[in-house]
Amino acid sequence: MSLRNVWVVIRREYLQRVRSRWFAISTIGGPFFLFAMFAVPAWFASSQSEERLPLAVVDGTDALYERLADDLAVAGFPSERVRWTSAVVDTLRRRAAEGEISGFVMLDQFTLESGDAVLYVNRRPSALQRATLRSAIVRAAMEVQLEIQGVDVEAMLSGGGLDVELLVAEGAQEGEPRFLVAYIGAFLLYMVILLHAVAVMRATLEEKTSRIVEVIVSAMEPWHLMLGKVLGVGGVALTQLVVWALTGALIVWSGLPLLVTGGSPGAANAAATQELLAVMPGPGLIALFIGYFVFGFFIYSGLYAAVGAMCSTDEDAQQAQLPLVMFLVIPIVFVMQVIQNPSAPSSVGLSLFPLFSPILMWARIAGGFVPAWQIALSFALMAGAIVAIAWVAGRIYKVGILMTGKRPTIKELWRWVREA
Amino acid sequence: MTDSEVAVRLQGVSKRFGSHNAVSDLDLVVPRGSIYGLLGPNGSGKTTTIRMIMGILHPDVGTVSLFGGKPDLARRARVGYLPEERGVYRKMRVIDLLVFLAEIRGIHRKTARDRAMGWLERLELEAWADRRVEDLSKGMQQKVQFVGTVIHEPELLILDEPFSGLDPINQDALESIVRTLSGNGITILLSTHLMDQAERLCERVCLISRSRKVLDEDLRTLRARERKGVVAVEFTGPDGWLEGPEIAAYDRVEGTLHLVLEDPDAHQAVLRSAIAAGAEILRFDLVEPRLHEIFVRHVGADAGATST
Repeated sequence: MSLRNVWVVIRREYLQRVRSRWFAISTIGGPFFLFAMFAVPAWFASSQSEERLPLAVVDGTDALYERLADDLAVAGFPSERVRWTSAVVDTLRRRAAEGEISGFVMLDQFTLESGDAVLYVNRRPSALQRATLRSAIVRAAMEVQLEIQGVDVEAMLSGGGLDVELLVAEGAQEGEPRFLVAYIGAFLLYMVILLHAVAVMRATLEEKTSRIVEVIVSAMEPWHLMLGKVLGVGGVALTQLVVWALTGALIVWSGLPLLVTGGSPGAANAAATQELLAVMPGPGLIALFIGYFVFGFFIYSGLYAAVGAMCSTDEDAQQAQLPLVMFLVIPIVFVMQVIQNPSAPSSVGLSLFPLFSPILMWARIAGGFVPAWQIALSFALMAGAIVAIAWVAGRIYKVGILMTGKRPTIKELWRWVREA
Repeated sequence: MTDSEVAVRLQGVSKRFGSHNAVSDLDLVVPRGSIYGLLGPNGSGKTTTIRMIMGILHPDVGTVSLFGGKPDLARRARVGYLPEERGVYRKMRVIDLLVFLAEIRGIHRKTARDRAMGWLERLELEAWADRRVEDLSKGMQQKVQFVGTVIHEPELLILDEPFSGLDPINQDALESIVRTLSGNGITILLSTHLMDQAERLCERVCLISRSRKVLDEDLRTLRARERKGVVAVEFTGPDGWLEGPEIAAYDRVEGTLHLVLEDPDAHQAVLRSAIAAGAEILRFDLVEPRLHEIFVRHVGADAGATST
């Protein structure tokens, strides 16, 4: 009967929340919000392309430039044709340094044969711009080759390659899509864990202050109520994340982002979609994201449930949760550093600490390479933390949920844990 | 009384909160099948006593037994408990809340739903079944809560101030439901500071004042024993004699002045002093005392129990 009660609590909590207006709004609105986070900067970038400095095109083949000019403009590079001379690279380097041009692209016989070209720029182009430019070059080259005939069309169809060499020294890898995925993902983890852990605290506090808890614990173990509450809210969070992941995938697959960047369907844009997909986190990364969310949520919701149970007013709870918020904010403070130096001993250490793992370990994985044993170890440590927290928080919860009046001191809390 | 005849037994129970004695050395026996009133002014320890019976608080000294054993989960599930501070899930639909409260006591969903609808019809709330609890008036919420207390068909009903906040019509409705449940063999323990309500409803009462038990008796025996000592008077002339030492308290009941005497046999002395003071006595009747008056005589008028 008792475990049945846990299930009854889970179902009540889950249905109650899933039926609420807030859930509908945030679940449907979330992906569009995220999409806007990607799309708005892209839209700005493409709408600002008119003011950009021209890109010099050194066309050693004398056949490509005419075919390329339009596509270059679409990619955000107004272009200018420059004749090949022996000193052309030095001249263009100087012009780029002086701010006359944004950079230059070298097209030569090799470009005609394989689609490869080298783009020298001051600023790293976006993934979309790169993809558009690359496929434009490949297409132009293919057209030329098909006219001349007798060449390796196969190599071109397979995509070619665009190497990028920065003229200025490389700083942080902030522009890299991988960095963005790691950073945004870490931040998202922080937000969803905090949001739902606080939801557990609020629900606990509400039950306590309304005194309905007296009726409920007269029929079931307080620990079962807490467990049901945590699992119910966790189920709601998972539902939301899955809906977000699915709609997110749908948005990307439908090619909706291209509408924003102003491209029309076509070979260039299909390639751009492919590029965007490559940037998106894969199923493995999403599974790990959900894994770290689940473990992080259990760790923090247990702690937050105890805070909700030991407080009697909202103001009290706001204060008492501050130390917990600190534990969630510290990883966010370190996340940049950890993504950039994923193998530094400090990064490894911080990301293995169970209270930080949900955010930092995921960021390391998304940002670069992490040995499998470290991932496994982080989950093992988190599991241990969950058991310890459930034991302590369950005891605090059991005593606190029926207590009224002043918030207990640390000493009193310790007595609760010992005596409960 | 043997354990099988007793629903609740408290022996030498005390509970302190800091320096405040909430309950002192309380013995209490609630016989099965009775309507038992726990009476006393606000702050006298009624709620603390009930919370100890429900295992929410633990006594510092003494033992609490429920159905002849420790108030553990299995025994508590046989109790319907309506706390003084009414808790509901405000955002839940009425029917869902009731089904939830039944389910955590082990009632099957479908049975719970049928019973809930039956009760809502009985209380003329069926039209509100699908509304959120917060849409209901305070009185309606209280009725819903009462349904939540009885929906699992408990053997013992513990109602903490069940009538406060209800209008007279709903008080009457609740009273008659309590009587019906009692007729079905359910033991009822109710706490109230409303003496008249208790007087109408209870078979046995326990008076608590300032954490201590003052009286614990069958209401009929109590009344018979305390028959003397309350006098209904009508008079004209001076009223200074009302402040005399023989009179513990007086107040107006339905237009007539009721005097509560310190010594039940002192009515002759009172009459003499009234006449001596020059009052013209129109009526001087020994009347059956009201519970409130018995209470006042035992703990003093300043204990502050209200008679309305």
